[in-house]
Amino acid sequence: MFSFLRPISLALLAAPLLALAAPPEASTEHVQARLLSSQSTVAPGQRFTVAFEQNIKSHWHTYWQNPGDSGQATTLDWTGAQAGPIQWPTPSVQAIGPIVNYGYEGRAALLMELTVPADAKPGSRFKPTAAVKWLVCKDVCIPEDVSLGLDLPVAAEGKASADAAQIEEWRGAIPKPAAFAVQLKAASQGVRLSGTTAGVTKAYFFADTWGAVAHSAPQAFKAEGGNWTLDIPAGDEPLAAGKPLSGVLVLTTAAGEQASTVSVPMPEGAGKGPGPADLSAPEAGSAGAAAAATPAPESELGLLPALALALVGGLILNLMPCVFPVLSIKALALVRQGNHKAEGLAYTAGVLGSFLALAAVLIALRAGGQQVGWGFQFHSPVFVLVVAYLLFLVGLSLSGFFEIGGSFTGMGSGLAAREGLAGSFFTGVLAAVVATPCTAPFMGAALAFALSQPAAVMVAVFLALGLGLALPFLVLAFWPAAQRWLPRPGAWMDKFKQALAFPMYAAVVWLLWVLAQQAGPDGVALALGGLVLMAFGLWWRNASGASTVGTLAAVASVVLALGASAWIKPVAADVRAAAGESTVEAFSNERLAELRGQNKPVFVNLTAAWCISCLVNERVALSRPEVHEAFAKAGVVYLKGDWTREDPKITAVLKAHGRSGVPLYLYYAPGAAEAQVLPQILTPGLIVEALSSSSAPRSST
Amino acid sequence: MMKLLRRTLIVAAIAAPALALANANVDAPAPTFSATTADGKTVSLADFKGKTVVLEWTNHDCPYVRKHYGSGNMQTQQKAATAQGVVWLQVISSAPGQQGYVDGAGAQKLNAERGAAPTATLLDPKGELGKLYDARTTPHMYVIKADGTLAYKGGIDSLATTDKADIAKAEPYLTEALAAVAAGRKVEKSSTRPYGCSVKYAS
Repeated sequence: MFSFLRPISLALLAAPLLALAAPPEASTEHVQARLLSSQSTVAPGQRFTVAFEQNIKSHWHTYWQNPGDSGQATTLDWTGAQAGPIQWPTPSVQAIGPIVNYGYEGRAALLMELTVPADAKPGSRFKPTAAVKWLVCKDVCIPEDVSLGLDLPVAAEGKASADAAQIEEWRGAIPKPAAFAVQLKAASQGVRLSGTTAGVTKAYFFADTWGAVAHSAPQAFKAEGGNWTLDIPAGDEPLAAGKPLSGVLVLTTAAGEQASTVSVPMPEGAGKGPGPADLSAPEAGSAGAAAAATPAPESELGLLPALALALVGGLILNLMPCVFPVLSIKALALVRQGNHKAEGLAYTAGVLGSFLALAAVLIALRAGGQQVGWGFQFHSPVFVLVVAYLLFLVGLSLSGFFEIGGSFTGMGSGLAAREGLAGSFFTGVLAAVVATPCTAPFMGAALAFALSQPAAVMVAVFLALGLGLALPFLVLAFWPAAQRWLPRPGAWMDKFKQALAFPMYAAVVWLLWVLAQQAGPDGVALALGGLVLMAFGLWWRNASGASTVGTLAAVASVVLALGASAWIKPVAADVRAAAGESTVEAFSNERLAELRGQNKPVFVNLTAAWCISCLVNERVALSRPEVHEAFAKAGVVYLKGDWTREDPKITAVLKAHGRSGVPLYLYYAPGAAEAQVLPQILTPGLIVEALSSSSAPRSST
Repeated sequence: MMKLLRRTLIVAAIAAPALALANANVDAPAPTFSATTADGKTVSLADFKGKTVVLEWTNHDCPYVRKHYGSGNMQTQQKAATAQGVVWLQVISSAPGQQGYVDGAGAQKLNAERGAAPTATLLDPKGELGKLYDARTTPHMYVIKADGTLAYKGGIDSLATTDKADIAKAEPYLTEALAAVAAGRKVEKSSTRPYGCSVKYAS
């Protein structure tokens, strides 16, 4: 009577069992997912490939094994079968604002090898299931999960399925171990991958773990002849030496993109520092020196060429506006008859000592995990203030307000030889200190090399630079014949000395202007107050006839003025006045990528208020009407990055172009693979020529 | 006397570079900032000198943030930390129109509903504070020691999922970092992978 109920109750009993067998396909709001098997029938113990295919809603993406700065990798958790690791196809880069993710858009197929239990009985069914989780993001992120399963008959002999061909095609998209050699070595800010594949026009490295390299930092690519290099800044958790850096390297040649897996042990000393957040160094070209692009500032530069460049750079540094006045003071001492050898040596010792101290500070900071360089001190408003005070005191001394030991010019009488030597030493120190905001041609290359080298080499290059700076005076001191070229001593020396005070005051004005941008009006007021205080203290000393009390007052005033620097506070970035020119946009990597994506020509100017050469270039070249006109005509977008204060994003760009400091001028022609690096000394003609020359990528560094 | 002055100047000129400011690097001075709170006040990092400061980047609609608020984990950590005198600052760097953007009143209402107990919520709609600290995900956690140096940056814990059940299984990086700082020990894992949604900066 109830027999009609039997099939129903059977169905009810079977229902939960059916629910356990997960379907091979499922859809969520953003992803259609399915499992495909390479086998339609499996044999006991057989190992075969299963594909997990995602069909992702357009503009959304899921993630690679290393999702990058945010996001989460897709996972499949299998039950009922032993599963191998996911084989990931090559991801693409998804940049959202400053954040870079690695993942997939459109269709992606992840492959894995499944093993049928050896004790599976022919005639039974193999029903593995996978709990699948993924994160799918556009501007927002949605975690989704589905349960997928296979249901395959087990037989003594396996049989390939109709999907096997499709799976083999997908397998072709999984990167294979590189068939070519790839070298990895330490670079100044991370690592450098290099190889000898010919015809490579573009390269990108996807690290397969977080922290080894900075995902969002640009990777600087260069190719020359059959060699290519790719500089990758270190990430937040750089790998220890000896550990393998592994990931997927994508090389683009005329034949298209070729992705390969690479795994190379980290070299000694690589990847220190927190990647793009590193400090680095300004490097200014020169005003008025023969215009030339800085020769390749590569770390491949040998030690000897680097030393030679440093020496020449140091020599030219003497002609820079920062150093010349100091030098003139010293030259005055030589005008006197007599033996100046000891003075020459003391001056050289002063210069070399300062450069040694600078190198020591740099090495110490580098050992502390920071990467710094030439002139980085000017990132600190306190340093700017101290140098302003120093130059002000020198200026006052030259004006005759007081005499620093009287030994500066040798005009004072009855001075002990020791005082004269101390004076020479101090002049050497002063020359080195005031030289730091200036960089001569050739120095950039030598410094970029030095900063990437071990301590001993770095010290050697810095000493060579110092020697170059000291050389002219040393030669004059040791070569009496040269002294004859100097004018005869006389009353004019006093006037000349007084006149030299004005370049010093001008330099103080410039430093206060830099300070205004770093520390705002309060900082400037504090600095000016300090100057008044020092002047007052020195006046007291003079008025009291250089009595002990007066001298104490002078010293106290200087100490107080220096103490005031403790209140200097860097102003927040948003207080900075925006670049006045309406045609100029603030530089950012995102904006640059966007404009290049639109095939627009872009001119990038990386500058700093304390960089004299930058300001000169802006004055004599970039703000000229013919340049404005050329920009307008070519539709060039002008991006300006300000490095007056430290900015890791700009530091990363500088590094990517082998520079340790500003200025850096880049021109991206529409569609060009690489930027054209313009010389550090610009002329209007040079810029116009760069704009009109072919869009063929050309790099001078 | 002048020689002393001279030496002072030389030493000052050469030592000053060491004062150069760094970015958000562990063991380096944390970048200074001032920001507007949800209740309209202005606070700056300098105000909290002498106290441990936690920065928590948040976006209430992000599933990873919801994992930690929905489970009560974040509130528990906030209460435990602030009870020990730690200053806990939520930071909202979502740009207007982006997920997670709220105004001051909205932020206060959210915290009231969730029973969240940060010391203050900083509104950073322009993303300046976020970019200053290079905050990438929500949540992204930072610990600044009483002396102003950064002691920790990274994830709230070790399991990068949205599953609440994983909280108990994860290694609680932030809790460990705060315990080490309180005990005056070195934070063992001081830089970890931050996980979550990307910070919704204006693009």
